[in-house]
Amino acid sequence: MSQFDAIVIGGGVNGLIAGTLLGRRGKNVCIIEKSTRFGGMASYSVDGGPTLAHSLYNLSPRALSDIGIDPQHPVLSGKPVSTVSLSEDGRHIVFKNDGVYWSDGTKHPESSAWSDLTQRLITYGSLLRQLAEAPAPGGQKTVLSRGGLNEFLRLAKLGIGLKKLGKSEMRRFLQVVLSNVHDIILDDLPEGPVAGLLAADAIWGSATGPRSPGTVFNLIYRLGHGGIITQPAGGMSALTDLMVEAAQKAGCVLMPKTEASRILLDNDTVSGVETTDGRTITAPIVLSNLAPKITSQMTGPSVFDIETIRRVRNIRACGTAAKVNLRLKDNSPLPGLPEQLANERLIFAPSVEYVEAAFNPAKYRQMSKAPVIEAFKVQTADGASWLSTIVQYAPSDLEGGWTESAKEKLAQTTVETLSRSLPGLGDHISGKQVITQDQIESATGAPGGHWHHAEMALDQLLTLRPANGMARYSMGPKGLFQCGAATHPGGDVMGLAGRNAALAALEAQP
Amino acid sequence: MSIFTDPKLGLIPGPFHKKLEEQNRAQNWYDWAGYSAPGVLDSVEFEYFALRNQASLFDISPMHKYRLTGPNTTAMLNRLMTRDVRKIGVGRVGYAIWCDEEGMVIDDGTLFHLGDNDWRLCCQEQMLTWLLDAAWGFDVSVVDETHCVAGLSLQGPTSYAVLEAAGLDVSKLKPFDLSQIHHDLMISRTGFTGDLGYELWCDWDKAEALWDRLWTGGAHQGLRAIGYEAVNLARIEAGFLTAGVDFQPVHATERLHRGQTPFELGLGRLVDFNKGHFNGRRELLSKRETPRSLLMRFDVEGFKPSEGSLIYNRRRKEVGHITSGIWSPTAKRNIALAHVRMPDASRSSGLKAEIYTLQEGKWDTRMARLTPVNKAFFAPPRARATPPART
Repeated sequence: MSQFDAIVIGGGVNGLIAGTLLGRRGKNVCIIEKSTRFGGMASYSVDGGPTLAHSLYNLSPRALSDIGIDPQHPVLSGKPVSTVSLSEDGRHIVFKNDGVYWSDGTKHPESSAWSDLTQRLITYGSLLRQLAEAPAPGGQKTVLSRGGLNEFLRLAKLGIGLKKLGKSEMRRFLQVVLSNVHDIILDDLPEGPVAGLLAADAIWGSATGPRSPGTVFNLIYRLGHGGIITQPAGGMSALTDLMVEAAQKAGCVLMPKTEASRILLDNDTVSGVETTDGRTITAPIVLSNLAPKITSQMTGPSVFDIETIRRVRNIRACGTAAKVNLRLKDNSPLPGLPEQLANERLIFAPSVEYVEAAFNPAKYRQMSKAPVIEAFKVQTADGASWLSTIVQYAPSDLEGGWTESAKEKLAQTTVETLSRSLPGLGDHISGKQVITQDQIESATGAPGGHWHHAEMALDQLLTLRPANGMARYSMGPKGLFQCGAATHPGGDVMGLAGRNAALAALEAQP
Repeated sequence: MSIFTDPKLGLIPGPFHKKLEEQNRAQNWYDWAGYSAPGVLDSVEFEYFALRNQASLFDISPMHKYRLTGPNTTAMLNRLMTRDVRKIGVGRVGYAIWCDEEGMVIDDGTLFHLGDNDWRLCCQEQMLTWLLDAAWGFDVSVVDETHCVAGLSLQGPTSYAVLEAAGLDVSKLKPFDLSQIHHDLMISRTGFTGDLGYELWCDWDKAEALWDRLWTGGAHQGLRAIGYEAVNLARIEAGFLTAGVDFQPVHATERLHRGQTPFELGLGRLVDFNKGHFNGRRELLSKRETPRSLLMRFDVEGFKPSEGSLIYNRRRKEVGHITSGIWSPTAKRNIALAHVRMPDASRSSGLKAEIYTLQEGKWDTRMARLTPVNKAFFAPPRARATPPART
């Protein structure tokens, strides 16, 4: 008799959601997490500094309600934030839901063009969301089964949705969806900061530039839940605390400081997990929130087919986004930024060309000298003020490795770049914290420190995510499932991968 | 699968090329994995009867040979092969097949268990990249020995006597045994003819010396160098399969569904579901009971070789084709290997092959009745006797 019905390895967002969903469906679930706190990448921080993730834009209401969290929960509704594109001449541009403005409040001339394009992409996003909220299509053997019928209806709905767009709009959708964001943006907008912001939003976390194919899809993906950006009240850790609470409410046993060393098998069926401290936890189902390669190492390659292992080891995951946290001397306003914009999302991406040029060094294992930056001014629990920034491109495979001097150089570059719009920023900084991909990888297991565990590219999406033959979350032996960001539909603090995986596990072993 | 060779390079001479050239009256060279190999040296009849009545030498150096060593080799091979390789003892040779993830046969070959975690795989298809993929995650080194290990196949009822005369003692070797005679000569009691025979393996640069040694010893045993055509007759009589002819190595197929499972090839005995996971196991479990076709042995009516013929059932519906068909000089029967689709393969009565004949400028067809045969067409007891007879 097994101790549990299911074990989830890795208590990140997807792991918590997968475990909680199974718990709410009557399964006796245990979620193990190697670090002391749950939340994975979303709430990972160093020495009490800002967390890796610092805003929400893609969290799935469906995943939330499936685990008993009200999507309107006060923590989540938090504070919607506007985006500010920083300008060197002080004329910053503010992106609100209803349009684009200069920082003095007057309407930007490209406002309606931007709104039209964004709105169109959001429409596409809501169509594609149906695909994200189910396992990738094509896995059901027969149409005349319940699963097969559901899948057929889902695809039919997508087809009807596309039809409803109207002929020319549908044609446009099919034209742009696989295309590169550079061409699409510059069709509708002149080169400049408005276009630059869209280009930046198409490449966060991925090893692509605006001219790379498939970047329109990335942008649609980001806008898949409407494109509204919020900061959870109490920060990302408040969100993950909420998820931990939901897991406990669902009866899940949470085991922090428990690291899986091996996934145990018996006669091609999962039987449990062995931990690094020598304990054995038994269950007939294991959901692994780890990247596929680490999962396969925990069972040993011999339980998988040779082709499976070949695909797993060839999954592309080169993280490009480093976290640079700049500790501020005090909570005084940032220089060169109007008071009312102080807590908005700040972006440094003055043009599409700038973003593309920032990507170039990353192709040759160098960091950008003029990076694309997203920054939030945040306060940590100890009351300290920080500028929490995501700096791209800082490739995980940096030539020479992420040495202390390389990190220092990245922090320096970040401050210099931001200072172009926020002159004198350096004088406000009292400390710097650089979290590079190798650190993220060793702390969370994400290969290459990649947000999505596997590059979101056309060859690694839908039925090919994380790799051909693994799109239905199950992998190799009976009872082994993947539930991490590497699976369909992917990462961001979204939660659908974990939710879908839990449903797939339930379907396989009701 | 034909292996890409540089056309400017032409066919490469193998380690026995000089020796073969001396005897090659027919000048019938063909491309075997890039090497020039003899189809016929003199005449196929002479060569075939030497194989069945005396002794024959056939150069098998173009076969692909891979050496696998390292602490995890047995485990790695057990995940690769469908049979339980742990049952092949040290000093033994095992026939094995391996499948892709869909349970389709990639190739067949012989596994030589040379020592603890020391194996040699000998097969028809190029397999290096696949073996490297298969070895990933295991502490195993894979070395392609194709171009440094020469092989000679000595087959026929007097082959033991030839070795004895050459001063090589293999009296203790049972079928599928191997023996390291000295550090650069290994002899295994294996072959592709179903007859008494041995395969000799040595360093590439020792090949000619080995040839001469056998030839001096074999002068009075009717030893004859032979080409592939004679070997092919013998292997069909023994019921052995040739890759690319009787089955399609799945990595070499481009069209969908051209691969075949071990069960479809009548090799189900080589699949061990109880040994733990192996490549294609999960698919094979579900495909075990539902073969799409079967590889069958047939006795063909009449005497016209039936190779390439289509097979029809009682209702004159086409249900398969002959992959290899010859008049067997030893069995004195018209024999064939064939693929027949289900369900006709399980009924297998009333099947006929449509054989095309060309006689002095006139094409004709004849419908030849096919009678299924379960065993090898020719399996002489001498092939298994230990110690073997001298004549």
